[in-house]
Order: sequence, then C-alpha cells, then structure tokens
Amino acid sequence: MSLSTKEYFVRETFKSIKRNQLMSLASVSTVALSLLVLGIFMVMVFNTNHVAKFLETQVQISVYMSDSASAETLKATEKTLKELPGVTSVKNITKDEALERFKDRLGSQSNLLDFMGDENPFPYSFEVHVDKPERISELAPKIDDLAGVETAKFGQEVVENIFKLTKIMRLGGILLVLLLAMATLFIIVNTIRITVFARRREVTIMKYVGATDWFIRWPFLLEGMFLGFTGALVATIIINQVYGAILNSVHATLAFFPLLPTWPLLLYIDITLIVIGTAIGAAGSSISLRKFLKV
Amino acid sequence: MLLMSGVSKTYRNGSVALKNIDLHIKPGEFVFIVGPSGAGKSTFIKMLFKEVLPTTGKIYVDGVDVLALTDKEVPFLRRQLGIIFQDYRLLPDRTVYDNVAFAMQVIEAPAVKTRRRVMTVLELVGLKNRANAYPAELSGGEQQRIAIARAIVNDPIMVIADEPTGNLDPETSKDIMRIFTGINESGTTIVMATHDKEIVDAMGKRVIAIENGVIVRDDAKGVYGYESEH
Repeated sequence: MSLSTKEYFVRETFKSIKRNQLMSLASVSTVALSLLVLGIFMVMVFNTNHVAKFLETQVQISVYMSDSASAETLKATEKTLKELPGVTSVKNITKDEALERFKDRLGSQSNLLDFMGDENPFPYSFEVHVDKPERISELAPKIDDLAGVETAKFGQEVVENIFKLTKIMRLGGILLVLLLAMATLFIIVNTIRITVFARRREVTIMKYVGATDWFIRWPFLLEGMFLGFTGALVATIIINQVYGAILNSVHATLAFFPLLPTWPLLLYIDITLIVIGTAIGAAGSSISLRKFLKV
Repeated sequence: MLLMSGVSKTYRNGSVALKNIDLHIKPGEFVFIVGPSGAGKSTFIKMLFKEVLPTTGKIYVDGVDVLALTDKEVPFLRRQLGIIFQDYRLLPDRTVYDNVAFAMQVIEAPAVKTRRRVMTVLELVGLKNRANAYPAELSGGEQQRIAIARAIVNDPIMVIADEPTGNLDPETSKDIMRIFTGINESGTTIVMATHDKEIVDAMGKRVIAIENGVIVRDDAKGVYGYESEH
C-alpha cells in the first residue's frame, strides 16, 4: 500500500467522521460508557482477588487472650500451643506490641489514637503458624476451647467468602459487559451504515473504475476502529484518574487496606480496554460492510 | 477485443433481456449499439464489465474469459475499461480535477503520475481551465466531459458508454462525439449504446441493432434505422 493511498484512507476516514459528527459522538460515548463499566469491574475483581490472596497467605491463627488471664495462664497456653500437631511457631504479642503495630499501620495518622490516653484496648495474643493451611480449620476450635483464650481467629472463612464474592462479581461483570458490548456493536454498525449510505455514490463509482473491495472497505473499517479506540481512550482516562483519586483517599484514611497500586494494574486495564474498544469498532464496521456494502 | 458467443440473459423475474448473442468486435473499432428502449442494450453494456452475468454463453474481453473471473479479479478487468453513463455520475463535493484523479487514486497510482496524467486528459477534453471548479458550476456537456476524462484517465483498452449524449442538446452532443472520435483515433475501442439518430447517421460507424434481445442488424457503416426520439 503506497503512502498516498494511506493518506487517502486517513483523509477519507476523518472527513467521514466530521460529516457524521452526531453519530460519531454517540458511538464514542457508548463505547466509552461500556468500557468504563468493564474497567470498573476489572479494578474491583483484581482488588478483591488481591485481598483474598493476601489473607490466604496468612497461614496463621490469631489467639486472643482474655484480659483476665494471668501470667501463668499465658505461659501454660503458650506451651500447649507449641505442642499442638502441625504448629511450627508461636509468637507472643504483648498488649504494648499490639498497640505499636497498630500505630505503625496508621503511620502519619497515629495521632488518632491520642484520645485513648494510657488506655490500651488491644489484648495479649499469640500468632500461631502452622505448616499447612488445611490444619487451621481443625486446630482453631481446639485452641478456642483452651482456658484463658478469648477467641481464636483465622483468615480462611473470610478468604472463602471473598473468593465467592469475586466469582459472583466476575460472572455478573461478564454478563453486564456482554450486554454493553452488544449495545456498542449495534450503535457502531448503525454509524457505519449511515456512513456507507452517505457515500454510496462514491462507492459505486469506485467499483466502476476498478477499486478493489479492500480499497473500498478500508476507510469504513478505519472509521469504526477509530471510534472504538477513541471511546476506549476516554474510558481509560476516566478510570486512571478516578482510581488514582481513590487510592489517595484510601491511603489517607484506611492506610492498611490492601489495595493494588496503580502500576501495573492500570496498564493491564488500559491495554485490555483499548484492545476491546478497537476490536468492537472493527467488528461493527465489518458487520455493517457485509450487510450494507455490496462490493 | 470483445467476443460474445451464445450469450443469453433471463432475469430472475422471467423477463428475457438477451437471446443467443454472437458478436465480435475488433480492437480499435467504434461500435454503436442501437434499438428501442427495453431491447436489451443496457443489459448488453453491463455484461461487458461484469455487473450483469449472462444466464448462458461466453464473454471474452481482450482474450480474458470474463465469466471465469473471481470477484477479486473483476476490479482489474474494470481498470482496463472506461465506463461512461448518461447521468455522468460525478462526485458533487469534489472539484473537476479531483473527480478525474479519483479514478487513479482508487487504483493506487503514484501521486506524481496522477497529477501529470489528470492534467493531460483534462486538456484533451478541454477542461484544463476548469480544473478547480465543482461539477455543479459546469454545464451538462462539461460534466459529461469530466466523466469522459475520468473514463480514459487510466488508459483503457475499451471505452463503454451508455447513452452518453442522452441528456445533452444536439450541439453539445456533437462536441462530445468529437472527443470520442479523438479517443477512438488514438486506438481505443469504443462501444456506445445510444438513441441519438443524428449522431449515428453522421458518424458512419459500425451499428449493431438489438430488438427483443436479438441482434437484428450489424452493418459496418450503418445508420440508426429508427425514428428519431429527440
């Protein structure tokens, strides 16, 4: 394909978009909206997965002791815990240490705790690490029954629930996105159909003077792809801005909440959206060309 | 140049347009196709560039079996033909120059060659000074000359014209015919369907008359042979 031909295609594409501003705008907006929804779902699914995985790696049981437990009870409990099958290590976390940890997590916000004065609401606890995650659900109730133990918590239930939630979200997201993709496809098919109709005279003449089918198709195909691409671009810009803002505000208020950083999450999402947007544009044009352009 | 053997066309609705046409047109010939309306002239013309397919028979253009061409090959057949219509079929939003250059752009001719060639053919049809005008600013005769320029810009081996003077007055028609004569004299075969008695009689070229889908007359130096419809 020669340079002047490429120039010709690009010129024709933009001329057509300009001539057809309203429909072009409608197409770009629909693509942007649909992909925005897809992008939001992707952000949510990736993040919940991240949280779930984070919790899953915590192969440990947190054993919180009651405040009334004496030093001897604590010692005895530690010994019992160490002797349980599958336990690899037991770590003591004193009330002070627990408070310090929390302060660390809060970071610059730690002055929030000033209102408590000398009060320390954190219980004495043990972090029990086990060799296999499967052991946890069997060990936890046993530990729960020990004297002086307030409660024994482990992440597994939460993890399972989160995985269930991600599954539902993913399924719902796919359904919604499919519906939106159909709507997008439909509107692009219509836009290109209007373009083809507006240029039917040109197309007829092109056929008489011996233009190949592909030569006739290219400008229409490019137009569809451009509309899809532009819509996707709008969606990625919105998602990048909004997610950045959310991260900032989450960091400011819920410092320890494990959200994924923008890099590389947004890169994946941006690429996905742009590829899908452009592909929908191309598919829409192709359908329209096959239906309305008898070349 | 053009060979037809046993060509018939029956449309899907059952109407018979052509019946068993045998025909040979030699390179460089100027041939008029005449006959009453609905005799099958348009069908005949459209078959030459494979817009209409015959029901039976064979068509060869410059030795190429037209019916054997795939859809992908048809554009390359058309590049060797210059096609002209009664209603000019110009693009109203493009200048005279662009309308002609369009035919070269779509077959991806180099830009420099296009510029040179378009100016040459515009000069040939006497529109060099109007290159930047739009079709609507020009008379019918001038518009048809743009269409002729577009048809010959790619140097076709055969020009096919369907009633090219049908919308023009007698004087303008004569001008147009002078251009066609010039093109023919440079060696290009011309096949022209027409209702124009004056022109056919004045030119003294080969005349093929079609009636009810059958060739009823084929004279080397023929006349129109019907009452003038003008």
